Amino acid sequence: MNLEIYAYKCRKCGQLHYPYRMMCKKCHNNEHNAFDPVPLPHKGKLLTFTRLQTLAADFSVPDIQLGIVELENGIRMLGQLQIAKPKSGMAVTGSVGVVRQMGYNTYHGMIFHEAK
Amino acid sequence: MREVYVIGIGITSFSRLEYPLSEIAAYPAMMAMRDCGIEKVDHLYVANMGASRVSGQTALASAVVDTLSLTPAGAEAIENGPASGASAIKQGFMAVASGLHDVVLVTGAERMREVNNLEATDFVATLTHPIAEYIYGTTLPSLAAMFTRLYMDKYGVTSRHLAMVAVKNHDNAMNNPFAHLHQPITLEGILDGPEALTNNPFVSDPLRFFDFCPVSDGAACVILASKEVADKVKRPRVRLAGVGQATDTHAVHEREEPTDLLAVRRAAEQAMKMAGIKPSDVDVAELHDAFTILEIVESEEVGFFKKGEGHLALEKGETRMGGKIPINPSGGLKAKGHPVGATGLGQAHEIVTQLRGEAKKRQVKDAKIGFTCNFGGFGNNVVCLTFMRED
Ligand SMILES: [Zn+2]
Repeated sequence: MNLEIYAYKCRKCGQLHYPYRMMCKKCHNNEHNAFDPVPLPHKGKLLTFTRLQTLAADFSVPDIQLGIVELENGIRMLGQLQIAKPKSGMAVTGSVGVVRQMGYNTYHGMIFHEAK
Repeated sequence: MREVYVIGIGITSFSRLEYPLSEIAAYPAMMAMRDCGIEKVDHLYVANMGASRVSGQTALASAVVDTLSLTPAGAEAIENGPASGASAIKQGFMAVASGLHDVVLVTGAERMREVNNLEATDFVATLTHPIAEYIYGTTLPSLAAMFTRLYMDKYGVTSRHLAMVAVKNHDNAMNNPFAHLHQPITLEGILDGPEALTNNPFVSDPLRFFDFCPVSDGAACVILASKEVADKVKRPRVRLAGVGQATDTHAVHEREEPTDLLAVRRAAEQAMKMAGIKPSDVDVAELHDAFTILEIVESEEVGFFKKGEGHLALEKGETRMGGKIPINPSGGLKAKGHPVGATGLGQAHEIVTQLRGEAKKRQVKDAKIGFTCNFGGFGNNVVCLTFMRED
């Protein structure tokens, strides 16, 4: 199964939102359920990144890599990275996987790899 | 609007305080009442971020007003993340300016060292976007790190500039008896020397241990009053002349220009405009340097320096004691400490002390106009204040 993370497209003006909004940031459309979910692209460009070594206690790894990626459609998102030598501006490809486990709850998010 | 004066101030050490949170909040309030000789107040605002989560206490203001035997005065807690302190001052300002109250006590307190550093970091991380940031393991230090890398790429800020902020603020804190860290550091020890990597390990690259503020307990208080009340108080007279506040997107990655801190720019503009001043009029400032990069960027966004040139002013010594605009004479969050909900009050306490001319060894000469920037979230909720000495 291919998992997706969604952006939200305003039905009135077409503005994309990520993350989710209740009202459109462009046309202020305030009708209930006024957005269509649109899967985020999986390809993009790495803008910035870090290796974080002080994690919340629910992580069982010593560190994680985080990055901000500009996706093909111009939307930016934060995700985890699994990249040996990250560089600003490099091409990356994302897939949806488990990013955090808190108690019995499993959280999915985008994990980026170096594009082939 | 009526004019609003700061008539009394008080503060605790920022360190580890082994007292109940309500007593930590009450202590500087007691000192502030003694400072101005006031025995009764109309209303209390209590700034705090973590009482319910870290200290296991709700309705903190009710506990504080009773601890101070100030019932039946009205009291409420103000929670606005790390900007809770300045937000509470803003509420007090509105109460006096509107004529609703004549004397308002604003105290802020936090007890973060009840939990270990990882829990404290995770508690603060809960202010990030729950779906787009927090679930990935994002913390404030990691957001600061990614922001720093962008700033380095775009404007040429280096690790040396960041270390210079840390050294300056640790030096300043040596002259502040209330500061958490009384530990002089050198570029040799944290950046250049053979022991630098051991002394100053990477926490979230490019940021290292000494780029971060400590986790502190602490509290501070200001008492605000109308002119009629201030006229009767025999203390140097300081007016709260401007307040400003602005917000930005919850998720940091969504900002149009990710190296801008627009909420800082807008809040500062408002606070200065209300006071009728421009950035070059400010004699002394306390900026929210939870991370060293923030002092540099805020010094640009509030208008002291051009965008992208804050690190150059730092290099020239313009922000140190005796420089053109001394920033964080108290030691800042970096060395004075960061009891999150109390930080805005700590900043105000320092500026009033400076404008009164009572800062002793860390006194900025002839300071008449002071400014604070209290930075909530990663720049998504910012409150700025302008203070003026009147004679
Ligand atoms: Zn729309």
